[in-house]
Amino acid sequence: MTASRALSLSRPGRLAGRLGVPLLLAAALAWPFLTVRTQPYLLQLSLNILIFAVLAVSWDLLARTGQLSLAHAAFYGLGAYTSALLATRLHVPIPLAMLAGGGLAVVCAVGLGVLTLRLRGIYFAIATLAFTETLRVVAKQVRFFGAATGLVVPPLFPASLVAQYLVILAVLLATLLVSWSVNRSRWSFAFTAIRTNEAVAAVMGVDVVRFKVAAFALSAFFAGLTGAYYAHVFLFINPFEVFSLAVSVGALVAPIFGGLYTTAGPLLGAVVLRAGEEALRATIRSGYLIIYGGILAVVVLYMPRGLLGVLTGLRLRRPPAVAVTAAPPVGGEGP
Amino acid sequence: MLIFGTLRSGLYALAAVGLALSVGVIGIVNFAHGEFLMLGAYLGYWLFASYGVDPLAAIPLGAAGLFALGGALYRTAIQRVLRAPELNQMLLTFGIAIFLQNLAVILWSGDPRTAAIPYKASALTLGPFTIGLPQVVVFALAMGLTVALYAVLGRTRVGKAMRAVAQDRVGAAIVGVEVDRIYLLAFGLSVALAGTAGLMITLQLSASPYMGLLYTLKAFAIIVMAGLGNIGAVVYASLVLGLAEAFVEFYVPNGGGWSEGVFFLLILLVLLVRPRGLFQ
Repeated sequence: MTASRALSLSRPGRLAGRLGVPLLLAAALAWPFLTVRTQPYLLQLSLNILIFAVLAVSWDLLARTGQLSLAHAAFYGLGAYTSALLATRLHVPIPLAMLAGGGLAVVCAVGLGVLTLRLRGIYFAIATLAFTETLRVVAKQVRFFGAATGLVVPPLFPASLVAQYLVILAVLLATLLVSWSVNRSRWSFAFTAIRTNEAVAAVMGVDVVRFKVAAFALSAFFAGLTGAYYAHVFLFINPFEVFSLAVSVGALVAPIFGGLYTTAGPLLGAVVLRAGEEALRATIRSGYLIIYGGILAVVVLYMPRGLLGVLTGLRLRRPPAVAVTAAPPVGGEGP
Repeated sequence: MLIFGTLRSGLYALAAVGLALSVGVIGIVNFAHGEFLMLGAYLGYWLFASYGVDPLAAIPLGAAGLFALGGALYRTAIQRVLRAPELNQMLLTFGIAIFLQNLAVILWSGDPRTAAIPYKASALTLGPFTIGLPQVVVFALAMGLTVALYAVLGRTRVGKAMRAVAQDRVGAAIVGVEVDRIYLLAFGLSVALAGTAGLMITLQLSASPYMGLLYTLKAFAIIVMAGLGNIGAVVYASLVLGLAEAFVEFYVPNGGGWSEGVFFLLILLVLLVRPRGLFQ
């Protein structure tokens, strides 16, 4: 137990956590009631930020096993389409349809994961990227899925921005709770071991593929659920938006920027990035993703522990430095 | 259909062989590969639109320029992550890809640019078949360049050094190969090859900021089929992709849109059946 504590946060961080978390929670709960009358635009923006935060925190779950997933947009889109279709064609109650969206994302994640997570990480990254692009092609081509024009979606809690806010806040809290408990549980040891050195982890008795698939499924569930939420709040989806590379990119830049393998890092990264993006949008009309690209490169090269590491100087666990012996830099398997 | 697919595969081979070089020799999976191709396509467009330079004539210049860009990128960024975890390498090149793609959006807007090259629409008639002239030229040039690369790798000292480094970095260093310079060379060459493929695309199609991703994915599909790092099999794997896409376009109703998903099916099939690649 002491060991798992030392893993998550050092002493000053824990103190800040004890005071900070209830305060933050109270602020997040009070926020919609403060803004709904005077600043509805801010509340609308908050929905966006929270959606983004769920994606970031859930993406980090899988990253803890050292895998790069570019399929977050795929699950987001799957959730959105599943829920929208169930609600419009079969008149399934919306909350149920949203859960089904998350469920289908899990099923696909397990399928894709079982196929590709036993191979080298690069195969997985490529397969996830290709999976997303293919889903977009399917959604764009098939008339039943609305083709290129997209689908009109029935609303969740129509005319109540506050209720909509509380729903996504609840989803975010659930994601954070899962992320936090995973990091405190024995799973975190398995994840860290796999990330640091897969071969050694396997020898030590960690079922590498099963842990990776489990992390992938968990991560996909929240992405699917959030995609469904997006559909029922923004009321219109099309293949280019929900299966967009921008969704996957955002989901991975935020944790990297904020601080990988933590619960607070992805949250911090998501809030800072989305708020900053909104401020930037006035100056840069298109191509704002350039910032994300720049951040990715800079963080990887110069600040491996992200914002959290820089800001607090806490002794969080560094990403594993090198494993020269087990993973030689020359990666080719060919001649 | 066979001709169509084969002709297309020339360009695919050229685009993929650069990536195979980067993966095989350096062990870096470059997610920005397609973006260099995109830069090449824009270069071709601008040279033609501003100075009337034929994209084919611009190849030496474009290749040199992109080689320099690749070299600079290697020195400033890639070199630093050679020993880092794979996740960091992928994230870095992915960041570069996103950066370049959006730089292009900002600089040149999201609209595709088409160079109005006079002989673009001209065609050859061979018996019952009519084939676009640019397609034939590009196929011949791309295949020529790919084969030339094989010759360089197989025959010359530099090529042998590259293959040695690809096989065993430490061993190559012990026998006196300057590994770092070989890496620099390989990465520059990889980027230059992508740029050259891009210039050739200007000849047939148009340049757009978002074209890079699709080519990155197709190049990946090809090198996965060939077996990661197996440079020799890239030509055959390109043929498979080119023919498969042509097949879908011709025989599946509304196939033009579906062919964009062919590469994924191929990746998945290969991963299912033979993860080490079809040609090993």
